[in-house]
Amino acid sequence: MERSAAVALTISTLAALGLAAVYIAGGQPQAEGVLLALCLGGIGVALGLWGKDIGGSHREPGAEPAVVTAERPELPSDAGPRADVAASLDRGGRALGRHDRRRFLGRFFATAAGALGLAALFPLRSLGPAPGGALRHTAWREGSRATVDGRPVRAADLAVGSVLTVFPGDDTSEDSATVLIRVDPDRLDLPAGREGWAPDGLVAYSKICTHVGCPVGLYQETTNELLCPCHQSTFDVLRGARPVSGPATRSLPQLPITIDDEGFVVAQSDYEEPIGAGFWNRERRP
Amino acid sequence: MLIRPVLRWLDDRVGGAPFFSKALNRVFPDHWSFMLGEIVLYCFIVLVATGTYLGFFFEPSGREVVYDGSFAPLQGVEMSAAYRSALDLSFDVRAGLVMRQIHHWAALVFVATMVVHLARVFLTGGYRKPRDLNWVVGVTLLVLAIVNGFLGYSLLDDLLSGTGVRVANAILLAVPFLGPDLAFGLFGGEFPTEDLVPRFYILHVLVVPAIIVGLLSVHLALVWRQKHTQFAGEGRTETNLVGERLWPAYAMKAGSLFFLTVAMLAALGGLAQINPIWAYGPFRSGLATTAVTSASQPDWYMGWLDGALRLMPAWELRTEWFTLPNPFFGGVLVPSLFFGLLYAYPFLEARWTHDRHRHNLLQRPRDNPGRTGIGAAVASFYLVLFLAGSNDVLAGVFEVAPESITALFRVLVIVLPAAAFALTRRLCRELQASGLRPIAEPGGPRPQPEPEPEDPRGGVRR
Amino acid sequence: MTARRAALVLVLVVLGTTAQLSASGSAGGPPTALVAEGADLYAVACTSCHGADGEGVEGRGPSLAQAGAASADFYLSSGRMPMDDPQGQTQRKPPAYAPEEIDALVAFVATLGEGPAIPDTDPQDGDLPTGQQLYTANCAACHNSAGSGGALGQSIYAPAVTDATLLQVAEATRIGPGAMPAFGPGTLDDEEVASIQRYVGYLKDPRDPGGAPLGRLGPVPEGAVAWLVGVGSLLVVARWLGAHR
Repeated sequence: MERSAAVALTISTLAALGLAAVYIAGGQPQAEGVLLALCLGGIGVALGLWGKDIGGSHREPGAEPAVVTAERPELPSDAGPRADVAASLDRGGRALGRHDRRRFLGRFFATAAGALGLAALFPLRSLGPAPGGALRHTAWREGSRATVDGRPVRAADLAVGSVLTVFPGDDTSEDSATVLIRVDPDRLDLPAGREGWAPDGLVAYSKICTHVGCPVGLYQETTNELLCPCHQSTFDVLRGARPVSGPATRSLPQLPITIDDEGFVVAQSDYEEPIGAGFWNRERRP
Repeated sequence: MLIRPVLRWLDDRVGGAPFFSKALNRVFPDHWSFMLGEIVLYCFIVLVATGTYLGFFFEPSGREVVYDGSFAPLQGVEMSAAYRSALDLSFDVRAGLVMRQIHHWAALVFVATMVVHLARVFLTGGYRKPRDLNWVVGVTLLVLAIVNGFLGYSLLDDLLSGTGVRVANAILLAVPFLGPDLAFGLFGGEFPTEDLVPRFYILHVLVVPAIIVGLLSVHLALVWRQKHTQFAGEGRTETNLVGERLWPAYAMKAGSLFFLTVAMLAALGGLAQINPIWAYGPFRSGLATTAVTSASQPDWYMGWLDGALRLMPAWELRTEWFTLPNPFFGGVLVPSLFFGLLYAYPFLEARWTHDRHRHNLLQRPRDNPGRTGIGAAVASFYLVLFLAGSNDVLAGVFEVAPESITALFRVLVIVLPAAAFALTRRLCRELQASGLRPIAEPGGPRPQPEPEPEDPRGGVRR
Repeated sequence: MTARRAALVLVLVVLGTTAQLSASGSAGGPPTALVAEGADLYAVACTSCHGADGEGVEGRGPSLAQAGAASADFYLSSGRMPMDDPQGQTQRKPPAYAPEEIDALVAFVATLGEGPAIPDTDPQDGDLPTGQQLYTANCAACHNSAGSGGALGQSIYAPAVTDATLLQVAEATRIGPGAMPAFGPGTLDDEEVASIQRYVGYLKDPRDPGGAPLGRLGPVPEGAVAWLVGVGSLLVVARWLGAHR
């Protein structure tokens, strides 16, 4: 045992020196990890070998065996000490006074403590603004130009089958991320009331998935479907991005767009419903 | 040696020799499966040590900066200061990358060994009275470890972890009534915000670790006070302890385990690349403002949550006045039910079996077929959820559609636990009947005389 | 010969030569011999699915009128065409034709319509960080941050871009093969395509300073290693140190 442990400790010492050398030489992650492992492992092996040897058959005379037996006292206290505790509580209670006025005072304390507890919760409100209408609006407005990296997008830039991620003007806030796709206009079958939202087969949908908010970045041209890579929700682009597969339960909101006089793609208004993941009062119109 | 003079010096000031003498002689049952909890503790020590080192270099700020370090593909790219500091640590600080990797591997192994430790305690009945209290502490530690791991890898503000935070935001939003307020309160506004990183940082390095240290101390103090359980067997009873003394045997072995655990984590940290944030890119930057990578998964201990989200069919409760969004079921309901049952289990089992006695002896898994069956069912449930969370990776490996994998797992998540339960219970019964490796007759010193029946503490049972 | 007559002859010669050049294909087009060879190869292998004049055959192959040289070169050089089974997604396999034959077929298909020409972008002209950004924004969602591809919905999968040549990367970007969207010059200009090519070039041999890359599949193999190597080795250590009953 002594020999093996000594070998392990020697390896450990050498590894420590090696570690210092590697560090001075500029460092190298694999070498650092392996040398550190050898350094620590050598000590660990030596300790383990010695520890397992304790109390073995070649122990010194007078040394006890490895495995011994001891008493395990009962956990619950004896009746005496328990009674002492009860008596001390009684003593304290008598000192505090038991009559009605004192008991009534206790209720005042309780009320004050409760009020303090409630008041102490109020600073939590400063952690964040009240949601208000923030979840219901994005930065898109009537006339907002669809841009990529600050450059406005011309309708002519997109051929059938092209897809772009666009934002309103210079505002790149996450909730305004929009997917702009050109499809064959004859195959579009949008829900009622969206006439004029998709000029020449150019459709725009929110890029934020209505399941848990991942960007719906995959456009499958052959099936005209937008696929979310996180949990595979699939949306039918030709039919108002309604969910056809996966855990999403609501269509991707559609952005009403048009083409302005200079040929740029602009929005007609903000999205008409909250984008992204759902929340408890989403359907309530404010 | 130095030890005795030092001890004398301390005792002159603090006293406590009686306690110390009892401690040195304390007997610890030495079965190998009792060392699992220790491994968890050692992983935690590594996390704190490496984490402190990382804290000297990490900049917990969501402020937008431009990268100017040595990783060429990201030169001149906009990113948060947090992400940049992580890149600098990985490429331009000596031993920075290996420290980061050891920290992350330690986190994965920390939660993994915690689960194995929990499984050992569960399968042997170690959670029964009086250790039901410690079980509650332990389950809380598991929840905190998972939460802290999520907060930790989300701090780096890279594309992969940022996608995970999106999901967390949506799960918070799905909480009835309080959802939007919780989400806005945590992030300081509508996700994503610049406040995200500093808040996660304070939670990850201070608040949650402080609670973990406190609860861990309670956990260990309870084990010290109640003394460890032991398996039934030769010479072992409910009222004795058979094992090794703290000094020197137990201490040597504990020390050995500590060094070997850290050595293993160091080896992983140097040899196996983990979380290569430079390959994902920052969460948001100039041209890639709202991006995502396919095959996005969270770290393994969150995988079951992602799997639950993927498996849940497209149900949603939607009326004019109230919506219960789809992520609620997988993201809020399933974890609440699961952890609720986990917390309550010792008390439920005690009720079910009408068992109000204290137990210091452990059962072998085969000795309680029903419980072991439940354990197998839970393990297989978790396994299906975890696999479901990687359904797109599996679909790529097996060259089938992800929808097929999801459909299969929707069936398996019900069928497999039921089958596992029945099969395991049967197996346990057969093992018992076969007489394979029987417990040797419990011998040793006679137990104390039975106390009076009126004694409120109850009797001693094997 | 008078000066006026000489000028008339000169004009006629110039007109005649121009007429000759135009007759051999699109302005400054490939030699007629190459196109003819391509036509012969096409007639043997491609008409059954794509029609004698590239007009397409219902249920078997699409029209090649919009294909252009870029599509032809992409599909042929990656072995995706000819396809064994017209249903389903095309698969990369060893090319069925030698490079000269591919050039001939490409020349022929280019004459069938007005599709995109083979991109002549040079990856070295591209900017690596810009390529990283563009790749992350436009490609990673399907092809994954490491370029290893991924399963999308319904048996469609995005192949590993690291298997492709950089020219094929540029061609695919422009034509949008199969389910992939097309990124024309209006969406990504030549410089941006060059940058993406350069970044894909990096992805073929990325830096892995942390050690074994574990398949570059992210947290899934990392979790597997944590359990198998991490927990596994520690269980062995515990069994070595502790008692067994």
